[in-house]
Amino acid sequence: MSLVEDPKGYWTDLTVAEKGVTAGVVLFAGALLVSLLTGGLTPTYFLYLVGIAGMYALLSLGLNSQWGFSGLINFSVAAFFGIGAYGTALASASGSPIAGGLPPVVGLLAALALAAILALFIGIPTLRLRADYLAIASIGLAEVVRLIVLNQDDWTNGSAGVRGIPSFFDGWPVLGTFPETMPTLVFGSGPGATVLSTSFWQALSNVALVLAFVGVSYLVLRRAHRSPWGRVLRTIRSDEDLARALGKNTYSFKMQSFVLGSLIMALAGVFYAHLNLYVSPGDLDPITTFYVWVAVILGGSGSNRGALFGGVVIVAIQEGTRALPLDAAPIRLLAIGVIIVLLMRFRPQGVLPPQRELIWPGTVDETPQQPDSGVRETKAGEK
Amino acid sequence: MSEQTTDTETAATMSKDDVVLSVDGLVKTFGALVATDHATFEVERGTITGLIGPNGAGKSTLFNLISGFYETDEGSVSVNGTDVTGQEPYEIADHGLIRTFQTPRKLEGMTVREAMLVGPRNQPGESFLKLFTAPGEVGEAESKNMADVDRILEEFEIDHLATQPATKISGGQMKLVELARAMLSEPEILLLDEPAAGVNPTLRNKLAEQIRRLNEQGTTMLLIEHDMEFVMELADPVIVLDQGSVLMEGRPDEVQSDDRVIDAYLG
Amino acid sequence: MVLDQLASGLVYSSIIVLGSIGLSLVYSIANFANFAHGDTMTIGAYTSLVTFGAIGGLGGTVLGLPFGFFVALVAGIAMAALVAVVTEKVVYDGMDLDSIGLLIASIGLAFIYRSVVQLGFGAQSTRYGIQSLRPIEALVPYGIRVTQHDVAIVVSAAALVTGLHVLLQYSDLGRKMRAMADNPDLARVSGIRTDRIKLWTWVIGAGLAGAGGAFLGLYSQLTPRMGFNLLLLIFAAVILGGIGSVYGAMLGGFLIGMINQLTPLLSDIGIPIGIEYANAIAFVIMVVVLLFRPSGIAGEAS
Repeated sequence: MSLVEDPKGYWTDLTVAEKGVTAGVVLFAGALLVSLLTGGLTPTYFLYLVGIAGMYALLSLGLNSQWGFSGLINFSVAAFFGIGAYGTALASASGSPIAGGLPPVVGLLAALALAAILALFIGIPTLRLRADYLAIASIGLAEVVRLIVLNQDDWTNGSAGVRGIPSFFDGWPVLGTFPETMPTLVFGSGPGATVLSTSFWQALSNVALVLAFVGVSYLVLRRAHRSPWGRVLRTIRSDEDLARALGKNTYSFKMQSFVLGSLIMALAGVFYAHLNLYVSPGDLDPITTFYVWVAVILGGSGSNRGALFGGVVIVAIQEGTRALPLDAAPIRLLAIGVIIVLLMRFRPQGVLPPQRELIWPGTVDETPQQPDSGVRETKAGEK
Repeated sequence: MSEQTTDTETAATMSKDDVVLSVDGLVKTFGALVATDHATFEVERGTITGLIGPNGAGKSTLFNLISGFYETDEGSVSVNGTDVTGQEPYEIADHGLIRTFQTPRKLEGMTVREAMLVGPRNQPGESFLKLFTAPGEVGEAESKNMADVDRILEEFEIDHLATQPATKISGGQMKLVELARAMLSEPEILLLDEPAAGVNPTLRNKLAEQIRRLNEQGTTMLLIEHDMEFVMELADPVIVLDQGSVLMEGRPDEVQSDDRVIDAYLG
Repeated sequence: MVLDQLASGLVYSSIIVLGSIGLSLVYSIANFANFAHGDTMTIGAYTSLVTFGAIGGLGGTVLGLPFGFFVALVAGIAMAALVAVVTEKVVYDGMDLDSIGLLIASIGLAFIYRSVVQLGFGAQSTRYGIQSLRPIEALVPYGIRVTQHDVAIVVSAAALVTGLHVLLQYSDLGRKMRAMADNPDLARVSGIRTDRIKLWTWVIGAGLAGAGGAFLGLYSQLTPRMGFNLLLLIFAAVILGGIGSVYGAMLGGFLIGMINQLTPLLSDIGIPIGIEYANAIAFVIMVVVLLFRPSGIAGEAS
């Protein structure tokens, strides 16, 4: 059913949660628009927020493909994010202690290669473990990675971090000089005027970059998850022994899913490095891992659009708490904690659990009933 | 008695090609417990071989050993003359040995048709690379598999379930779906783990009917079952397992009247 | 040098043991990995801080510690246990989740505990108002630099662990707890009131964690992250000792604490791994144990 052909039918077809989220998103977009127009939010900062939301969406997509589709409890999200950021930074930054000055595209490839190696390094020992052991082992190994980044000064500059990272399109034809060549536009006059200068155009190109990353990842994941490959992974999540009995090499499938998700997380790190232009060991703090977990559980495990939604909510929490007259860090932590507990207590399947999107087109003639999937029914902890 | 001798001779004159599954001296211990104790038997092509025994005789352990879910301590398993001892379950499945489970878990977020589509072995679409490098091949295989699924669902008279969520059908229907799915894997030998357990009488008869039909079409089966009537009605020969080793093997009527078997069940 | 590290290993081990016992008990009886356990230690530490601040020294001292500190310690233990029981009743009890769902919920609780502490006390580190001591003179000639406070930590931890041992071995509650840790289903069918045992498990586990937190504050300092930062080391200890085994947790805690403080010796014997990797070593040991002996060194091989 298409939104364009039959908007009314489309609306009545949605679940209560979908209606709620749609209404919420519309309200939120409206609020943003109002604050943009009234000058409460500068266009450049708005684009920065869009970029950060895109970054969390990438991280959530990556984790969702591991946890939501394959049931892998990866608590090392921050390590993959960090390795992505450091990978591209060490290759392209002027302040890199090992290489530096290489084109950002080389940095991107280096980051992906490093992330793939790290995924194998973490995955080979841990993917055979029971689900809760995997959680503990992966967070432990993520800490090992963080400690190495923090302490191996000769490779990473240690706690000083890496400076002098170019923007991603640096050196590209047209796009490379796009922010400088664009004129400075001024709307309105006086102190309330909206000025679109180089920094705005820079932010716009960053948004383009993250949208490209998100778009490609989303399409790849959609193709993968709706394929026989994704079907095997979903079988593994529900009943790994069944998949093995039907001749599927489940360890290999889990490894592929783990590497795929890790590469997408590393993409988020690459984007972050070229957005922030500086990386430090603090970027590998385990809190990032839990932010992304909240986004995925909130959105609905196994749901890609849920992951996108969850990513946006995380940014709203982070930025919303910034406006408070109190110390933002503990408030943010409290909000995240309360959301986790309330979700697990009242709606473990998340706000937007997967519905039609997972079902292979052609295996249905009609709209299926709502599948009651989610954390509640996973077989984790058994073996 | 003379008839049995003839049977044995006939079996001996048959070539080894007609043994699909050969289990030789399997041993499995859990700590001090000897669960499987030098179990030895063969399953001939085209038979429904029953595997019975009192509770704790080691039937399930034996199934898990044969299908590779447990590691064997001693002995060997061959499928179609290939030694598969020590292989992973998926490798053993690749040799054509497919098993079902006593209590199948339901697949979340899938329709019955989709849950069936997991069955066919080595689908091109299960290779991540081929999804992007050979979409045509993937699509063709998928259409073919989809047609196979619909055909088999029809043969099993459960085509009305095709679009139901796999979590919403009954346990008995799930057993039928499982059997149907196993057929999509084109088994050389099918190991059925208590197919009739927890199934209502109507579906139970339907299951028996399907098992017989598949066997007549050439599928070899090894069947564990608690329901004696169900086994005796379907299986020939029947192997009796007691305390981890084979007590006897024979026709259903022989087994039922054998003193050792009666002792094993009562003792 | 070695003697000094062994001595400080013993002190650090005492704190880790207090944490690991509770984590192991909850893991086996409530059946999930409790990520809020470290922050339960933080609660114990800050409750002791507040209590000590309110009541002061109360006159005399034992091992360089004012009487008031021991009262504050008891308050820390009580508060940690109370928070755990309230959490069990209000949060976990109403959840219909598997062990992974509970694990995720416990992360949320960890954040709630920590954020409340941080809202009350700020993110910066603080100390009890107790004078730091110089190392005990008599031991300095042997190269051992421990203070009376360190001795107090070890002695108190030993007393608590001994108390737990007596409870487990000789009381009715202890026998039921062991039975339940061993096989929850069997315990239930044999008529044990498992809900009550579970509640006591939380009380004991969180209480010991509270004590561990109070001592950790004395050993170094108090920060809202202190417990969370120690959590992975405690997990390493529990896994090394074998999940579900209280005595395994003690052994694991002892070994992890020792290994942690003995890391400088690696450089002495020519292995170029500095103290900055002390925690990393413990985490690698944890993964290796999970891989090759998931039942831990004290558990039975599976």
